[in-house]
Amino acid sequence: MKVSGEATLHAPAERVWDALNDPAVLVRTIPGCERLEATGPDAYSMVVTAGVASIKGTYAGKVALSEQEVPHSFLMTASGSGGPGTVSTDVRVTLTDSGDGSTRLTYDAEAVVGGMVAGVGQRMLSAVAKKTAGEFFAAVDDELSGKAVEPAAETSEVPGVFVAPPSTPASNDGFVRGIVVGALVALGGVLVGGLLGRRR
Amino acid sequence: MTTKLFGEPIKRVEDHRLLLGHGGYLDDLGHDALAAAYVRSPHAHARILDIDVSGALEVDGLVAIYTHEDLPGALAEPLPLLIPHPTLTHGRTPYALANCEVNHVGEAVVMVVARDRYLAEDAVERILVEYETLPAVVGIEAARTAEHLVHDDVPGNIAANMVQEVGDARAVIDAAPHTLELELQIERSASTPLEGRGVLARWDTESGRMRIWTSTQTSTGVRAAVAAKLDLPLMNVDVITPDVGGGFGVKIVHPWPEEVLVPWAARLLGQPVKFTEDRREHFVASAHERAQLHHVRVGFDDDGRLLGLDVRFWHDHGAYIPYGLIVPIITSTQLLGPYKPRAYRVEFDSLYTNTVIVAPYRGAGRPQGVFVMERVMDAMARDLKMDRALVRERNFIQPSEFPYDHGLIFQDGRPLIYDSGDYPTSLQKLKKLVGWDEFGSVREAARVEGRRLGIGLACYVEGTGVGPYEGGHVIVETSGKVKVATGLTTQGQGHQTVFAQIVADELGVPIDDIEVVTGDTRRFGYAVGTFASRAAVMSGSAIALAARAARKKILKVAADALEADPEDLEIVDGFVRVAGAPASAIALGTVAVLSNPLRYSFDEASKAATQFASGDSSKPPVDQDDEPGIEGRDYFSPMQSTFASGMHAVVVETDPDTAEIKILRYCVVHDCGTLINPRIVEGQIHGGVAQGVGGALYERMAYDESGQLQNASFMDFLMPYVSEIPAAIEIDHLETPSPLNPLGIKGAGEAGVIPGAAAIAAAIEDAEGFPITAMPISPSELFELRRHNEGNRT
Repeated sequence: MKVSGEATLHAPAERVWDALNDPAVLVRTIPGCERLEATGPDAYSMVVTAGVASIKGTYAGKVALSEQEVPHSFLMTASGSGGPGTVSTDVRVTLTDSGDGSTRLTYDAEAVVGGMVAGVGQRMLSAVAKKTAGEFFAAVDDELSGKAVEPAAETSEVPGVFVAPPSTPASNDGFVRGIVVGALVALGGVLVGGLLGRRR
Repeated sequence: MTTKLFGEPIKRVEDHRLLLGHGGYLDDLGHDALAAAYVRSPHAHARILDIDVSGALEVDGLVAIYTHEDLPGALAEPLPLLIPHPTLTHGRTPYALANCEVNHVGEAVVMVVARDRYLAEDAVERILVEYETLPAVVGIEAARTAEHLVHDDVPGNIAANMVQEVGDARAVIDAAPHTLELELQIERSASTPLEGRGVLARWDTESGRMRIWTSTQTSTGVRAAVAAKLDLPLMNVDVITPDVGGGFGVKIVHPWPEEVLVPWAARLLGQPVKFTEDRREHFVASAHERAQLHHVRVGFDDDGRLLGLDVRFWHDHGAYIPYGLIVPIITSTQLLGPYKPRAYRVEFDSLYTNTVIVAPYRGAGRPQGVFVMERVMDAMARDLKMDRALVRERNFIQPSEFPYDHGLIFQDGRPLIYDSGDYPTSLQKLKKLVGWDEFGSVREAARVEGRRLGIGLACYVEGTGVGPYEGGHVIVETSGKVKVATGLTTQGQGHQTVFAQIVADELGVPIDDIEVVTGDTRRFGYAVGTFASRAAVMSGSAIALAARAARKKILKVAADALEADPEDLEIVDGFVRVAGAPASAIALGTVAVLSNPLRYSFDEASKAATQFASGDSSKPPVDQDDEPGIEGRDYFSPMQSTFASGMHAVVVETDPDTAEIKILRYCVVHDCGTLINPRIVEGQIHGGVAQGVGGALYERMAYDESGQLQNASFMDFLMPYVSEIPAAIEIDHLETPSPLNPLGIKGAGEAGVIPGAAAIAAAIEDAEGFPITAMPISPSELFELRRHNEGNRT
C-alpha cells in the first residue's frame, strides 16, 4: 500500500525539525500513542492503540531512522505488530521551508499491512492512514503555534521513556483515530525529527 | 404395488430437518468443550525468530499454549503428502504448527486452549511472535521467474513437471493448414462453504478411545491420519461427520493441522476440545484453487477439424502441496472434453507460491481446462468464419466410438477411457433449447434498440465416480425398519434421499422405513470420501449390491417360513409374499426375527425365534456359511471412472456504458447417465451454475504483492446472490447409462460449475466482438478491455 500526503506547519523548518525531535511532543501528538522509548541511536520503540473499522488493538512498534539531512529530509523504517495485525513501512519525509515562516512537509509511505487488518480493513486503510497523518501534523502544528495547552507530567520516571498524558487529544475518536499505518507514518516523521535532534 | 422410487423426483427427506434449523453442525456440538484458537502468521513468508507467550499467561481461563516445540513424535513431523506421484519430485507439506518458517499468511504458529473461544482469542492477541520477513512469491509470474524461492530446497519453485503426449502434436501443428496461439488465464477462487472447518475431540481416558467429530469430506481419511499422528490403534479412533454446511472440495484435505492438534490436546488435557474456524481463518488458512496460466498452440484444417493441440500450463498450488497433482492432472486430461484432438501434448509445472494451499474446488481443474478448450474452439470458428457450434460438432467423439480411449492417464492412475455418451444429440438439444440458430436475429433486434447481446456455449466431459472403492451396509431390524450405512460423508447432496430410493426399490420397503447414515466410522469403517462426483456412483452402487445381498437373505428365510420357493417370492411394501398370493404375506420384521435364532425372547415378536418355537432340528440353528440376522454388506470398485457430460449455453447483455454484465438466459443439457432423482440432479445443476457464475464474474482472491489477501471477508469477496443468478435455469436431460456400474449412473455433483466461465466468456466475446482470454471478468475489466480494443472489433 502506498500513502503519500503533505502538510503545512506554521513555523520555519528548523523549528519544525526541533519539535519533531522532542519525544515529549511526539507522544502527545501521535494519534493513539501511549508510550515512546528511545532504544538506541536512531531507534525507538512505541506502543500505539489503533483501530481500522471494527478492528481495534494495541500495537507494539519499532522505528529506525536513516538518511537524515537536517533539516530537510529523512527515511523512517517502522514496524509494528499486535493482535489485529502487523504493519511495516518505509516513509520518506521531506521538509521545505516556504520562506514565509511556514514549512511544507511531504511524506511518501510504502506500507505492508498484514494479519486481520489487511484482509478485513484493507479498503479503509489508506484513507484512514491519511486522515490520521493529517491529525498528527495538525497536532504538531498546534504545538508549534502554541494553540495546544501542554498537559503536565508527560515524562515518566524512567529517562528516555515518554508516556502519553491521561487524555491525549488522540484518544477521543476511537473509530478513525488510530489507524496503525497513519500512526506510523506520523510517528515516523516525528521520531525522525526527534532522533536527529537528540544527536545534535 | 410399491411405486418404483428410482428415477422419481421425490422431495429430499433431509430437508424438513435442515430447513427448520434442526441440523446438527459441528459448532452445535460440544458445548462443554474447551476452545482452541490459533496464532496465525501475518506474513506470507518469514522466519520465526521468537515466540513470547508470557503476556498471555495471565489471561483468566487460559488452559494451555502449544508451539511446534511441544509436539511429540509424528505430530512434530510434516503433515502427510496425501497423493504422491512419480513426477511430484519436490513435494512439501506443512507442519501442524509452523516449525521456524511460515509460508503463507494464516499458517498456524501457536495453538491456545482456553475455557471458551473469547478467552482463547484474548490469549492469542497477547502472544508475541517475532518474525524476520522474507521475500514473498505471489502469483504464477513471480513463481516461474523464481527470483525468490518459497522453499530454499525447491529450485525454480517447481514441485512437479509433467508431460503427457499422444502423437507428435508439435510436428502436426507445424504442418497444419491453420494454426493459432492463445494465452489463457483463470484466477484463484475458493470453495467458501458457509460452514468453515471445525473439529471436536473427546478422549475417554478409561477406555483409551478417541472420538472425533469433524466437518470433513472423508471421515475414514481423518481417522487413519489421527491414529498415525497420535500413535493410536485405528480401532480406538472413531470419526463422525455431523451435518456439514458445504464442502465443495476444501474439506477433502485432511488432516488439517487442527484435526490432529485438537484430538492431541483433548487427550493431553483429559477434556473435550473444539475448534470452529471463523470466516477470516477460512479465507487464509484453508484452501483455494483455480489459478492457472495456459499457453496453447492449435493446428486445424479448413473444415475446423482439430489436427493437433499443444498445451503448456502453469498451476499455482500455494505454499504446500498436500493434495498432490490432482487438479493439474485433471486439467491436462479433461481439457479434451467431448473432442478428438488427434495429436495432443500437454505439459504443466505445478508451482509453489506464498499463498494458501490448493484443494480441488468443485469442478477441480475442469473449469480451467474447459475454458481453454472452448476458447480454442471459438478462436478456430472465428478464424474460419464458421458457426461455433458447427466447429464443435466436427470434432465430437461419435456415439459409435465408445469406449473411447484417449491414450492418456487420468487422475485416478487409470487410462482415460470414456465409457459412454452422446455428444451430437446433446448439442442438438442445447441448440434447440437456447434457440442457437435464431439468435442472430435476436442479437440484431437488440442492437437496433441500442442493446448489446451475446450468446456462447461450452461443452465438457467429466470423469466421475473415481475409485478405489466404497462400501454399503444394509440391515433389516426386527421392527421391519431398514438401516443403511456407507462410509463416505454428506455435505448437503441429498444422500439420505437417493440412497434410500435405491434401497426402497431393491428391498421393496417404504422409503419412510429406511434410515441412511454416512460418514460415521462406527457404522462403516471402510471408505474413501466424498469428492469427484463419486458418492452416487460409488456408494449408490455399493448400497444397491448390499441391499441385493440382504434381499437374498430375506427371501431365503421367508421361503423357509412360507414353505415356498424363493424364486416365487416378491417383497411389496415391507411384506414378503408369494407372487400373486397376497394372503401369504409375512412382514419383513418377522423375517428379521426368524433370521436370528434366539435363546431369550425380549418381546412378543421375538418369541417366534426362540429354541422351542422354531428351527429344523436336523440342521444347526445357524447354517454353515450363514450368519444370524438380515444384513447385506458389499463393496463397489470399478475398473475406472465413468464419464458424464454436458453443454451450457448462455445469453448475456453487456451495458454499453457501464460494462455491467447481465445473464439473460442460462441453458443446460446434462447427461449423468441414469437419474436416481431428477429433482436432486437439477438442484445440483442450479447450485453448480450459481458457483459457475461466481467463478466467471465475481470470485477472486485479491492477493497483493506481499501475499496479503485483501478481500478476506464476505464484504469484499463477492459471491453471487440469488439476484445475480438467472431466474430460470433451463435444463434438458439426456440419459446415456454407464456400462460400468449396476445402476448405469454417472456423477452429477460438480457438473453445473464446470463450463460456466467458458460459456460466459464466449457470450461476452460474442456481445463485444473482441477476445476474452482471462476470467473472471468484472465490469471495470470489461470496460478497460473495450478501451484497449477500440477500433479492433470483429
